[in-house]
Amino acid sequence: MFKSGLADEVRALPGGENLEMCYSCGTCTSKCMIQQKLEPEYNPRRLLRMVMMEMREESFSNPTTWLCSSCDLCYPACPQQIHISGVITAVKKIAVQNGQKTPLHTAVVDQQTCVACGLCAEVCPYEAITIETRKLPYRGSIPVAVVDPGLCMACGMCGAACRSNSISIPADYSDENVVESIWKWLNPEGAL
Amino acid sequence: MVDAARQPLIEVKAYTEVEKVEGFVGNFKVTLREKAKYVRADRCNGCGACAKVCPIEVPNYFEMNLAPRKAAYIPMSQSVPLIYNIDMDACIHCYKCVEACGPLEAIDFSMQDKIVEEEIGAIVVATGFSHFDPTPMEEYGYNRYPNVITAMEMERLNNSAGPTAGSLIRPSDGKKPQKLAFINCVGSRDKRFVESCSNFCCMYSIKNAVLVKQMYPNIDVTIYYMDIRTPSKGYEEFYNRARAMGIHFIQGRPAMITEDSETHNLFIHTEDIALGKVVEHEYDMVMLNQAAVPQPDQNHMSSVLNVAQSPGGWFMEYHPKLRPMDSPTDGIFFAGACQGPKDIPASVAQGSAAAARASRVLHSKTWQIEPTIANVWPDRCVSAQGRACGICERSCPYGAIDYTQGKAAEVITAKCHGCGACVAECPHDAITQLHYTDAQILSQIRTLLADKPEKKILALRCHWCSYGGADLAGTSHFEYTSNERGIKVMCSARMDADFIYEAYRLGAGAVLYSGCHQQDCHYITGQVIGAKRAKRLETIFERMNMTPGRFRVEWISAAEGDKYARVLNEMQATLDAMPEADLLAEIERLRPEMAKRLSRLPNIPGVQRALDHTQVVVNTILSREGAQ
Amino acid sequence: MTDHKPKIAFFQCHWCLYAPEDQEWVDRRLPDNIRLIKVPCTGRIDPLFVLNAVQGGAEGVVISGCLPEKCHYKEGNLAARRQLQEFSSFMDYIGYDEARLRFVWLDLQDRGRIQRELADFENQLQQLGSAEALAARQPLEEGGAHE
Repeated sequence: MFKSGLADEVRALPGGENLEMCYSCGTCTSKCMIQQKLEPEYNPRRLLRMVMMEMREESFSNPTTWLCSSCDLCYPACPQQIHISGVITAVKKIAVQNGQKTPLHTAVVDQQTCVACGLCAEVCPYEAITIETRKLPYRGSIPVAVVDPGLCMACGMCGAACRSNSISIPADYSDENVVESIWKWLNPEGAL
Repeated sequence: MVDAARQPLIEVKAYTEVEKVEGFVGNFKVTLREKAKYVRADRCNGCGACAKVCPIEVPNYFEMNLAPRKAAYIPMSQSVPLIYNIDMDACIHCYKCVEACGPLEAIDFSMQDKIVEEEIGAIVVATGFSHFDPTPMEEYGYNRYPNVITAMEMERLNNSAGPTAGSLIRPSDGKKPQKLAFINCVGSRDKRFVESCSNFCCMYSIKNAVLVKQMYPNIDVTIYYMDIRTPSKGYEEFYNRARAMGIHFIQGRPAMITEDSETHNLFIHTEDIALGKVVEHEYDMVMLNQAAVPQPDQNHMSSVLNVAQSPGGWFMEYHPKLRPMDSPTDGIFFAGACQGPKDIPASVAQGSAAAARASRVLHSKTWQIEPTIANVWPDRCVSAQGRACGICERSCPYGAIDYTQGKAAEVITAKCHGCGACVAECPHDAITQLHYTDAQILSQIRTLLADKPEKKILALRCHWCSYGGADLAGTSHFEYTSNERGIKVMCSARMDADFIYEAYRLGAGAVLYSGCHQQDCHYITGQVIGAKRAKRLETIFERMNMTPGRFRVEWISAAEGDKYARVLNEMQATLDAMPEADLLAEIERLRPEMAKRLSRLPNIPGVQRALDHTQVVVNTILSREGAQ
Repeated sequence: MTDHKPKIAFFQCHWCLYAPEDQEWVDRRLPDNIRLIKVPCTGRIDPLFVLNAVQGGAEGVVISGCLPEKCHYKEGNLAARRQLQEFSSFMDYIGYDEARLRFVWLDLQDRGRIQRELADFENQLQQLGSAEALAARQPLEEGGAHE
């Protein structure tokens, strides 16, 4: 009936072991705030079901795969003790291996100003930043911070930690936008 | 209960604890502690004058501590026998009750606990169950939010004899609630607390909802559930009736309850599975239908009665399908939820069955037992020679062996269930088991391994589980290697180390040591003894540098035919992976080691003779065409 | 003094309010003197954001985030706590009363707490009186003044 594949692949990855224990109670979905705050289609329960039912393409394109930030609020609440974020991370890993791209606006490093101090790599909760040697115009072969978009969740901690202002989060939460919103309020005439 | 108390042949011993149970079926000697009530049963007429004048109030356990009771009290208004009791922990010795009792002179502060010994033929255990306390589930806020209550509290609030005389109020402000929610499976079906389903909660939450709805049709009632389980006769119809009454059912396990700190209203956050959307609804009051758990002193009772417990802590029955009301110990029977959560009809059915089983004991002059009992050869028992031993007594799961140093150990036949633990454990081979003697089993091993032993896998199976598993593998047509040769014993506790040494001495390719999973053991702790021995053997063979996989220990239940087949196929694969020359060399290398451990075998009565006879059979097999 | 409505910059992490009702209040019905600045995580708050607000004339700063160990981004609030609480002592050093900076770590079940905290903070600011604004005309940028 089903093509063997996705569920087995997920089970084989660390975190995905107890996948089939899910009895669809919905605790994870309601404990998580992503559905009510960000994305109405977000639903870990349904993603687990999709994986079990071998719905490969659907689970890769599902927002749940990309938006789960592994906060693990659901894990201690799960009556079946399924490490849900582990399952989702496993799905995401397989999706990335299959060439899928995250819809998030992930962190961007300005490699011309990066001094490779490693502070961003230190604070990143997802270990998405590594210090690697890159050949750059004007700077030669030099170590700089590199962001893996497959792991980055766009929380912005690296941006707050960076001392040389070389790492930024595009779109809504960029340094410029936040500072601008503060100044627009305090100084409506616009000294900016 | 009142009827039972009136029956001349029934004696009700209320407020009495069982301290010790000795003896065996038909001849139990039970020690009881009749606790002092400080009220004389022969004089008290249950008028309640003492309670009226008593100045002390303590929380009433029966009302789930929602109401007080006096220090002079009856546990509940329908108590049988209707005799008052004075709670000495609370009493301040004002003696007002003595005055109020007047000429009856029923109150006696000099009473003491009384220890009584009774001769009992059969025992029916009906100790019931207890409730899971939902306080550890922080997400539901029980004990923090005043309007979150448990189902038992709801039961009392909704009862016309309860603390509020049947009017439903919320604890925070005493007002009548307008929106009620019930949450099912609180603590049950939850691996963090109680893994099992509590069987009856779906029905009682529906019942409570229907009662509320009948009384106050305007109240909005919602039941949150994961699955509604209504398997018995008429239950589904009742569920349909509840739906028709306008009770809402929301499928989804609430993740969180939050509270408005001013109004004390509660907000339930859940995913409505049918909608696939997270919803938040406001309620005045929330009821948690908590899991059924064993009584807090169930462990103590199980050691007093010497009956085993199932994984959840419930008392374990003799057989889950065929003898659900019998305990593994003859003459002790279970009724009701002490054996597992069950609702009233099932409890009544089991109670009647247990009573019938018990009367069978009382009316029998003789008692049939399993024929496979153990027997001691007094002349071989070292205790008779004055040496200290007692291993058999310690290994017996039933306490059926009477051991005193200086006297040969003796098996109390009526208590023996024939697991064979003592037989295999006895280091001096002084015990034998009828129908499973060493001579018989060793003869079987010899015959099975007569021809090309290095190709064979000897499987030792226990009667109840792995033998059943092998049987199931056969009837289900799970294919497994034809090189398997099986021997059945009653329990993995009977699988003597000698059998395994003998198998390897004869050159067996591999040996499987299999029995029940620990919680399924038919002989209380037989598997534990078997598992311990298996562990020991594994270490020994590891030290001998035996190829891993040639000795394998697996616990296989009667339902795991696929596992039995898989294990044997894996063992066959291990053998196939070994070059034949290597295998033969290893067998030769280990043979003297094994033989050394078997040196005293011929001294066991009957063994040499049996093996001599077996040799004839072996020779016949070997002389057949195609044999080596 | 009591009718003075102090300007409060309210940095809120995207995830700290569990009850939809609270979030709705924060999003739509916040008093005029309180300005909501949403960030994905308290860990996103660069100390310069706070400094910018203070320089522009905010009389108080509230930072609300999730309870430690319940961070949406695993450990963002822990980093924020390290970074910002260290920063608050620096603020004290440059003459900005530490009491004008408040951290609110919210649990999932703290329904309605943010409203109480904000009212309480406003009260506290009124007690302290209006802040001597740290003179500044330009927003700060890392690595020097922004032109």
